[in-house]
Amino acid sequence: MSTSAPALRMSGISKSFPGIRALTSVGLEVAAGEVHAIVGENGAGKSTLMKILAGVYQPDEGTIELQGEAVRIAGPIDARKRGIGMVYQELNLVPDLSVAENITLGAPPSRFGFVDRKALRARAAAVLDELGAKVHPDDLVGSLPVSQQQLVEIAKAYASSPRIIVLDEPTSSLSENEAQALFRVVERMKAAGIAIIYISHRLREVIELADQVTVLRDGRLVETRSAEGITAADMIRLMVGRDLTDVFPKTEVPIGDVVLEVRDLSRKGEFDGIDLDVRAGEIVGLAGIVGAGRTEVARAIFGLDRADRGVVRVNGDPVHAHQPRQGVDAGIAYVPEDRKRDGLIPQLTVKENITLASLGEVSTAGWIRGRAERRVATDKATELGVSPPVIDRRVDTYSGGNQQKVVFAKWLATKPAVLILDEPTRGVDVGAKADIHSIIGQLAAQGTAILMISSELPEVLAVSDRIYVLHEGRVSAELPRGASEQDVMRAATGEVAA
Amino acid sequence: MSAPTVSTDRVVKQGFLARYGTQFAMPAGILVLLVVGTVLSDRFLSVGNLTNVLINMSIVGIIVVGMTFVFVTRGMADLSVPATLAVGGLLVLMLDDVIGTWPAALIGLAVATFAGLVNGLLIGYAGLNPVITTLASGTIVLGIAQAFVGGVIVYGEDPAAKDFLTGRLFDVVPMIVLIFAVVAVLGHLVLSRTVFGRWTYAVGGNPHATEASAVPVRRVKAGAFVLTAALAGFAGVLLGISLQAARPGIGAGYEFDAITAVVVGGVSLLGGSGSIPRAIGGLLFVQLLTNILTLQGVPSEPQGMVKGALIAGAVALDVYLRRRGGRE
Amino acid sequence: MNTVRRAFDSDVFLGLVRYRVAIILVATVVIAASMVPGILEFRVLSLSLDRIGTTALVAAGLTLVLITGKLDLSGGAILALSGIAAIGLQEQFGQVPAALIGLGVGVLAGAVNGFLVVTLGINSLVATLASMLFFRALCHVLTDSRPFSGLDPLFGLAVSRPIAGTFTLRTILFVALLVILHVWLTRAVAGRNLFAVGSNPASAEASGIRSNGYVFGTFVFAGFTAGAAGVIQSLSVNTGSPVFGESTSLLAIAAVVIGGTRLEGGRGSALGTLGGLLVMAILTTAMEFSNVPAYIQSIVTGVILLLLILLDRFVSGKKGRDLSLTALLRSLRESRRNPETERTHAP
Repeated sequence: MSTSAPALRMSGISKSFPGIRALTSVGLEVAAGEVHAIVGENGAGKSTLMKILAGVYQPDEGTIELQGEAVRIAGPIDARKRGIGMVYQELNLVPDLSVAENITLGAPPSRFGFVDRKALRARAAAVLDELGAKVHPDDLVGSLPVSQQQLVEIAKAYASSPRIIVLDEPTSSLSENEAQALFRVVERMKAAGIAIIYISHRLREVIELADQVTVLRDGRLVETRSAEGITAADMIRLMVGRDLTDVFPKTEVPIGDVVLEVRDLSRKGEFDGIDLDVRAGEIVGLAGIVGAGRTEVARAIFGLDRADRGVVRVNGDPVHAHQPRQGVDAGIAYVPEDRKRDGLIPQLTVKENITLASLGEVSTAGWIRGRAERRVATDKATELGVSPPVIDRRVDTYSGGNQQKVVFAKWLATKPAVLILDEPTRGVDVGAKADIHSIIGQLAAQGTAILMISSELPEVLAVSDRIYVLHEGRVSAELPRGASEQDVMRAATGEVAA
Repeated sequence: MSAPTVSTDRVVKQGFLARYGTQFAMPAGILVLLVVGTVLSDRFLSVGNLTNVLINMSIVGIIVVGMTFVFVTRGMADLSVPATLAVGGLLVLMLDDVIGTWPAALIGLAVATFAGLVNGLLIGYAGLNPVITTLASGTIVLGIAQAFVGGVIVYGEDPAAKDFLTGRLFDVVPMIVLIFAVVAVLGHLVLSRTVFGRWTYAVGGNPHATEASAVPVRRVKAGAFVLTAALAGFAGVLLGISLQAARPGIGAGYEFDAITAVVVGGVSLLGGSGSIPRAIGGLLFVQLLTNILTLQGVPSEPQGMVKGALIAGAVALDVYLRRRGGRE
Repeated sequence: MNTVRRAFDSDVFLGLVRYRVAIILVATVVIAASMVPGILEFRVLSLSLDRIGTTALVAAGLTLVLITGKLDLSGGAILALSGIAAIGLQEQFGQVPAALIGLGVGVLAGAVNGFLVVTLGINSLVATLASMLFFRALCHVLTDSRPFSGLDPLFGLAVSRPIAGTFTLRTILFVALLVILHVWLTRAVAGRNLFAVGSNPASAEASGIRSNGYVFGTFVFAGFTAGAAGVIQSLSVNTGSPVFGESTSLLAIAAVVIGGTRLEGGRGSALGTLGGLLVMAILTTAMEFSNVPAYIQSIVTGVILLLLILLDRFVSGKKGRDLSLTALLRSLRESRRNPETERTHAP
């Protein structure tokens, strides 16, 4: 085992997309029977690296070797054939077929075209047994809880006798018990000699499971080391320690009274007992790792989702937002995390997108006043620096940074008292990023209360006046300006008692 | 965890044909038809003939306006049109001697609109599949209409109303064409210049983002169906009055004619794009084609084959152009 | 409101939904028997089954199409076209060959649909709408809009006569077809793959299932069954008519939906369709016997259809426990063996 080549060796992998350099010369080596964890913040490059392994993307540079042999992975089906099994966060199962049928999908044991039920059950039971998964082969996948569906997904990947299995955030929707069941399955696979790549934000799990840990940051490999004796603090330091190369301008702004007041906001399974305050002119950061519940809290405040209990007040008036309309009427605006899904209407023009949430302002009795609309759109587009400021062009012909500005413009046109930003500079190039930060600063200067969700620590630390940190649905810390990245990360990973 | 969003810094440059092709295709097509028609028959380019074409397309045209809204909002199609049309026609004639033609027309319109409301609630609010729902509701409404009428032909009692509708304004413009034109213009203005119209495009283009933008998505979706039912009812009223006779089956086939026109006009089934002028263009195209065939002595039935082929061709072309343009 | 919502969540309710076809069927039989005492007579049942035979054959093919997540509105038109071929070509080719050609017409028509949807990528609603218009118009063209008769009225009569005093040939055919389809859907590899195609085409494709081939195949099959329906219908009355099958598509869709097949694809059952057909057969017969006019019948059909898809909507979000009898029996057995075994289920 020590002299044979590793199950996987990726060397010098680089990948760029238009405007963004996703990976720079990253290397990864995983031996058979090893659990190798990859950690890093959002945007560090983990998913891009895995997509290259899965054959979804082709690397710009670099080589991939499987069992010592250099290969080119043509596509997902080729990857599967080469013994690479992927288990994604979004499950890929057929809900109306049984567990056994899902595991053997595409090639069940059969006789003359008919499914050999006994053999099917036996084969599935064997796989599930090997993995120690307590799932019955005959159950309909659609009727199983998510934790069991995940085990089925893993069994499906395992059944094709892979050499390598990649688990992408497998425990993000699992309870403590269910996660333990998953770990036992991982141990079994490890004992069977499979090379396991384990991607997770939950550092405790990494410490418990992994043999080796690779830390990525900003598309580069920071370090690969043995997991023996590693602590969360070690990993945090590697994930996060960076030079602040992007200077975020922060102007001091007089801070007024509390505008947004959130008390005891709760939604079963997502967040619990959230208390927040945001003052006029203040930029409050909402930090935490993926899955902590930040977006869920924001959506509930705005009215896109319902909360089970809790109170939201804007300038003292209670808001019961069951729909976004009520949020907007109360003076709240929400710039969503997923621009493509929740932010823009692709085939409408810049102008039409900008005015979509505030048509009431530029219309009389339902009739849109053309000139007023153009004026609002042009003003906002210029104000935010949409380039080129051609408001009659379809918004999907613009770059990501410009598109984000259009989304901003839309919400600013509603003249909100509270602006909630969810990952406002994600997928945006450096120039536009600086523009957006400057805009945020101006808005604060005008007295808007701003709540900003961001996974990018330097951004949060540079821009915020205060930071709430969320961990597993609860506020685990409220940090003042000047807190360190380590302070945030510790609270975000639950190192700090809430 | 997701890969960085791909940002397109360069403006997506499309070929001239891809960008303007869809805009010019219809007027070009109509021009071609006009030329072909003139060549094939000397009766074609006469005022009388062309006016006939316009008259024939007026009833369907009113329905096309509604169907366009349904398409744009990604509501797929409203197959209950024959029923709502019949309701309008039957009620106006049944009640014209009781309360007068115009009040009877209002009642017919109201009942048809109510049926549309039911459609709207089921499709917009309960989220049911529009095809099956309108198919089912159409059957129910038609059944109720038949129950009411007893399956016989209803005759009107108001020849004056008929004369009015089938007459001509200033002895030139047929009344019914005028009414259609007014409806079309109003429909176009609503779709292109009002808040509701803008919302319609947004809902069809990206329902998630539209909801997140504080737009009442369900109301908009429901509205398209209410509107179509109302317009179909109105068309039925007009048809009934101008014929002074109606039976429950009077609306048969109108939904397919409307859908054909909208599809041929290039309004996408996927929603978010298209316009009333395009749909009317499609209608004109189909009507001209039908006219040319009729003048050539082709009986009405083979024309159905042409319509079917047209729909398939138009949609296939749309799919092809979309794939070429890189937008799915 | 919460108690109402909890009611929808209860196992009893979900169990009811799972077996709703059986429940609806039983309810229908009970209501019909109380309305029309003589309805459960064998002879009456046999005839009412035969009457639904044409719709049944179309519904069989439609079930597969719906499972793959597509729609097919052209069944009625294909039916008429095949019948016209089967009758119209009798003089030229002889009765049996003409019937076979009629079947072939159905297959070809199905292939046209498949081409439009799979190869050209046209939405199945629009595509089959277009093909429906086309085929229907073709029927009118071929027959000059007039029904016409075949050579020998006695030839096809056998099809709609009860065999040995039991069921007609047509009835036996569609019941057998649906049973075979059920077995195929639940036991054959290709049948199971169909569910994958309808439920999660990307996942199916990634497992090596050629979704396009399956979709094309189901359209061809639907064309075949519609063709069979049309040939049998025309033979039984010795007439080829351009207006046959005009309401068949809607009735067939209703039967399939009543039977529990989802419109979105990924779930369906041939036995369910059979159940739905039985419900409709009994309902229509009962209404006819009670002199309920045709339009009331269509109202009833429409209302039932709407209520059922509403019910489906309400329940579709609930991921309940697997409430099939086998699963319940198994959990009973297991809990008797290990009293501590606890099944966890979704919150």
